[in-house]
Amino acid sequence: MPAITVDGKKIECRDGIPVLQAVLEAGGDVPHYCYHPGLSIVASCRLCLMEMKLPNPQTREPEWVPKLFPSCQTPVKDGMEVRFDSDRVRGNQQHCMEYFLLNHPLDCPVCDKAGECCLQDYSEKFGHASSRMVEDKHKNPKKDIGPRTLLYQDRCVMCTRCVRFAQEIAGTGELTVVNRGNRAEIDVFPGVPLANPLQGNVVDLCPVGCLLDKDFLFKQRVWFLNSTPSVCPGCSRGCTIRIDQNENRVHRLKPRFNEKVNAWWVCDEGRFGWKYVHAADRLRRPLIRRGEQREGIRWEEIPATLQYQLEAHAAADRGAACACVLSPMMSCEEAWLLAKFVRRLAPSAALVPGPAPRVGDDQTFASGFRISAEKCPNRRGVERVIAGLGGTRWSWDELLANATAGSVKFAYVTGGYPSALFTKETATALGKAAFLAVHDLFASPLSDVAELLLPGAAWAERDGAFMNDDGLLQPFERAIPPLEGVKRDGQVFFELFGQRGLYRAADVRALMAAEMPEFSQVYAPRELPEHAH
Amino acid sequence: MRDDDIILLREPILTVAERCYLPQILDGVRTTLRHMYNRKKREQTVTQYPEQKRELRLDNYRGVHRLNKDPDGRVACVACFMCSTACPAHCIHIEAGESPWPDREKYPVKFDIDELRCIYCGMCEEACPCDAIELTPHFELVGGSRQEMIFDKEKLLHVFDETKALKPRKNPAVTDYGLTGGQSKTVARPNAEPKV
Repeated sequence: MPAITVDGKKIECRDGIPVLQAVLEAGGDVPHYCYHPGLSIVASCRLCLMEMKLPNPQTREPEWVPKLFPSCQTPVKDGMEVRFDSDRVRGNQQHCMEYFLLNHPLDCPVCDKAGECCLQDYSEKFGHASSRMVEDKHKNPKKDIGPRTLLYQDRCVMCTRCVRFAQEIAGTGELTVVNRGNRAEIDVFPGVPLANPLQGNVVDLCPVGCLLDKDFLFKQRVWFLNSTPSVCPGCSRGCTIRIDQNENRVHRLKPRFNEKVNAWWVCDEGRFGWKYVHAADRLRRPLIRRGEQREGIRWEEIPATLQYQLEAHAAADRGAACACVLSPMMSCEEAWLLAKFVRRLAPSAALVPGPAPRVGDDQTFASGFRISAEKCPNRRGVERVIAGLGGTRWSWDELLANATAGSVKFAYVTGGYPSALFTKETATALGKAAFLAVHDLFASPLSDVAELLLPGAAWAERDGAFMNDDGLLQPFERAIPPLEGVKRDGQVFFELFGQRGLYRAADVRALMAAEMPEFSQVYAPRELPEHAH
Repeated sequence: MRDDDIILLREPILTVAERCYLPQILDGVRTTLRHMYNRKKREQTVTQYPEQKRELRLDNYRGVHRLNKDPDGRVACVACFMCSTACPAHCIHIEAGESPWPDREKYPVKFDIDELRCIYCGMCEEACPCDAIELTPHFELVGGSRQEMIFDKEKLLHVFDETKALKPRKNPAVTDYGLTGGQSKTVARPNAEPKV
């Protein structure tokens, strides 16, 4: 492990990283635009220059070299001595900032990036308060470069992070630099819009407000948003994200650095896939069938009702005709609590992993980033829970076959998919059960035949842990409270399980870990400092 | 807060008469009575509202809000949310949208101020980068319901029309970006090109 001296302070760092990265990891703040640890190094912004000690060719004595070196392009070497805290380095930073702001419009009030903009932060910390520019600013045009992204060329600092992203990470290379000098522009090739499945990341990469999401444009000022660490439920990869919400409405999802899964990126499907959380047609109140009619039921009555029905149907054969479907949209804790409840009253009941929707094939990109074809976050976790509990396990097809044959009397089906998944055939088969409870987000043919219909909470309203397709258990927190009239799934199952009080995923995980040690450890990626990328 | 911002005050030491409490009360009563029977003072202090109206300081009186219009009659607000960020009472609710005009990026689709919730502190006026929101000398606010007291964009623009004779709009500072804040075109450098 090499140790370098920065501003007279010794820091230990990883081998083979640039000095800039070493300083950032040690908690320092060095201004930089073009450097990003996930992209190739171009050293074009010249903002991160540092002074370095090199041996004098004549005397062999190490001394400060009059020239400045780009810290993003200089790899660390044991015993190296550099400094940022000098007049020459500060002077360079101030001059660079002045150049960046030459043509930059003063439109922070209407810019969506304001509040999380590196240009604002660095101007305040390393730049000038006023501009000496007397000429009219050169105003590059605003461009529509893709179905989801806008490019405000006048705000650009030409760091080319977006160009390198399109080439190196997505591997599609739609973006390029055209023209030179202060007329330089980022642009797409004619007829090739920026539409690759990872393109949303260029908006996060952009250190200024040049690339903006059309989806989030003008929706909120970023300082109103509250962030919650979460895991994307879009596919079985389990990319770590953060949910940005204000006044209980989700406004956007942003990737969270995770070296084991998604690095700094997230795909568009996950990024914009949260809209169903606020869909108007979500189920809102629990219903029970009494005679022909379905009527509302209070949440407090539900544990007793379910317990009574399950006991009645499990009395004869220890529940061999009972089945509980654990959806791959559930967290591990929720699946475990529900399965435990069913097994306590009906020890021979079958546990059924819910259907895992698949769309196409896995997509792998130039950088190794993968989008899984399996569009549910926790199939593996639910299967682990079922395997851990043992006993009868049916596949989804076996359940439908048994139900069609009429040998299922009690069924509890959980859904939670982003759209109604259960078909008419499913409904005809499972409708034959004497008691069918459905716990889902949206109305479907299956929910129409249910005896007991429970509205579920979306993933942003719940907490727990998902196990991704590599077997990595990652916790997520709830960002917003559930819809009015809806109870969090975990809380419902916690009460079914026989506990009182508030459901807390970590506590339930501790209970689970006593039986299944693989649930004792969760993986939470390390947090990066504010300007670390 | 720095140490020299803090002013330390020592509690005054009370005399025996002051500690007896009653002489002080009588002293107060004497002042009240003196004002009551002093005709000149009474006429200076008391205004027979609503027959008489006080003379207001028009420049900085903090009455009902208005949304200023630019010289073209468009709303001057650029929906930057600075006022609702600064507002300590959280009474300003804005919904932003893309502006229909080529020289401007953003404009408020909805702009609601809950005048009952407002504490008339004037922070919104101070925060506004394009002097679009201002407080007017108009203070006689009445409404039949709470809903009626939530002033929307149209109503706030109407207040501007009503009060612009009394308190004309100052032309705001010009930014390098041109007409962001709806300045007069003669003052702003019109280097803003049409959007693509």
